Amino acid sequence: MSADLACLMKPAGGPQLEAMARRALALTRAHFGNTISLYAPLYLSNHCPGGCAYCGFASDRKQPRRHLNPEAIEAELDAIHALGFDEVLLLTGDRTVQAGYDYLLDGVARAAKRFHVVTVESFAMTEAEYRGLVEAGCTGVTLYQETYDPGVYERLHRWGPKRDYAFRREAPARALAAGMRTVGLGVLLGLADPAVEMMALDQHLDELEKRYWRGGLSVSFPRMRPQQGGFEPAFPVSDAFLAQLVFAFRICRPEVPLVLSTRESAAFRDGMAGVGISKMSAGSRTTVGGYRAPAETGGQFEVSDDRDVETFCAMLRAKGLEPVFKNGDRVFLALDEAGTRSVC
Amino acid sequence: METSLILGDHAFESRLILGTGKYSDADALRRSVVAAGAQLVTVALRRFNRERPEEDLSAVLASLPGVTLMPNTSGARDAAEAVRAARLARDLCGSRFVKVEIHPNPHHLLPDPIETYEAARILAREGFWVMPYMPADPVLAKRLEEVGCVSVMPLGSAIGSGQGLRTFDMIQRIVKDSRVPVIVDAGLRAPSDAAAAMELGCAAVLVNSAIAAAADPPRMAAAFAAAVRAGQEARQAGLMNRSEEAVATSPLTAFLGQARP
Repeated sequence: MSADLACLMKPAGGPQLEAMARRALALTRAHFGNTISLYAPLYLSNHCPGGCAYCGFASDRKQPRRHLNPEAIEAELDAIHALGFDEVLLLTGDRTVQAGYDYLLDGVARAAKRFHVVTVESFAMTEAEYRGLVEAGCTGVTLYQETYDPGVYERLHRWGPKRDYAFRREAPARALAAGMRTVGLGVLLGLADPAVEMMALDQHLDELEKRYWRGGLSVSFPRMRPQQGGFEPAFPVSDAFLAQLVFAFRICRPEVPLVLSTRESAAFRDGMAGVGISKMSAGSRTTVGGYRAPAETGGQFEVSDDRDVETFCAMLRAKGLEPVFKNGDRVFLALDEAGTRSVC
Repeated sequence: METSLILGDHAFESRLILGTGKYSDADALRRSVVAAGAQLVTVALRRFNRERPEEDLSAVLASLPGVTLMPNTSGARDAAEAVRAARLARDLCGSRFVKVEIHPNPHHLLPDPIETYEAARILAREGFWVMPYMPADPVLAKRLEEVGCVSVMPLGSAIGSGQGLRTFDMIQRIVKDSRVPVIVDAGLRAPSDAAAAMELGCAAVLVNSAIAAAADPPRMAAAFAAAVRAGQEARQAGLMNRSEEAVATSPLTAFLGQARP
């Protein structure tokens, strides 16, 4: 499989890329049907002690900091739910006094009362912490390694808990060991040679697949966008090459959900929907509290596709794709009225 | 020979059961069910959506006359999850049918025989009409029959793979031994696969991806329905035996005037 992936990531001309796109479309349709699963991100906090050189929330960025209090979390969850979403991704920076593990745990429990699928994208945790999230109703963890090159990793993660490469690399395994149903991996495209990075990601998926055969895996394709602080990616990835990476992954892993966020432009997302990509965010606000109020703070990244949910869904339908908001059910989690997981 | 498919206390004329995922919209699904003449359709509990009726596949199908809903437990990873899902689905739609579908691995979606057996045992005892999606294993089929399943549903090949009847020999054995209807579920690509399953002696087939992901789903649904009828007719008409050698219609020894053996 890896040899095929390496081959498919070699620079390709138009005809070869078109052939890959056709294959990716056929495989996506066979496994996922004419559907796109939808989710919405909710930024709970932009406090962060970390020094990630590429991130708009890094502690040295001049950025108003805020975190949602419990009432605000409830209100934002209501706003997202009213848009039709049934899957929500909760995001925070690295651990701070304002937004640490207990804060996130509380957010998960609140979200699990309304949403059938609740996932988190936050700091790397211990297995016991992940187990706590599972018991509160969390179904999945998204955790990008950012780069699989330890040297680049050390250089870009200038300070903070995230500097520990190995602890982060093993976090998805700990999440699955704790009973998390899904983990999402990704590299931040632009930091290092993308083909080498994607091979390392593929290797990571292989390891997880063998160790945790029940685990659901997904892959995202975040690409460096302009940020505060003027970070310039050393290995910029073009639209054509990003598309090729998605096609290559779909061809090599027909059954794994591939995810594309609103970091990417409307035109790019429209073209990729269903052609390799099977899951997308829509109507996203990457600012803290952004679903109810106009942005007072900068986002973690700039939303490039700022269409509302309705407009985005109309585009999907025009392409013959059904937007799927609900594709899970909390009945599987055995949460009781109080939101505590019980054993049947 | 019986002409209806008997499941629970229902007698179905149609032997084509439809899955309901993967369609581009509710209308394509509705038109496909009608074109297939399907009387039994399966809907995943996770696609029930009481908060957004326009997204609720069970509501779309409940509005069609003559269609019986069979909720399925897709998304369950073990017996406990499947049992909870089945009970909730029955409460929501009132159907006693349940397709027990337990695939712990969300990528290859192959059924877990141990958890499937356990869930089927519990749910049959609770009065469900259990139809388990299962590996094509003749021993497991008999065990599931023994705990009270109203049918067994061995896979032809992996869900969505379009590989057809890769398990032909095992399904043949299951059909030979079974006292409950055998329904091939998953993996069928072409109407000829469905006809082959019926010729083999299956009581029905369950099809989803091959129809939902076709360029023209209702037309493909009609093609599958025709193939299922053809296969069933052929089975009832009595298929000729296979022979390794050609058998002349005018035997070479006819001139000897001897009675045929």
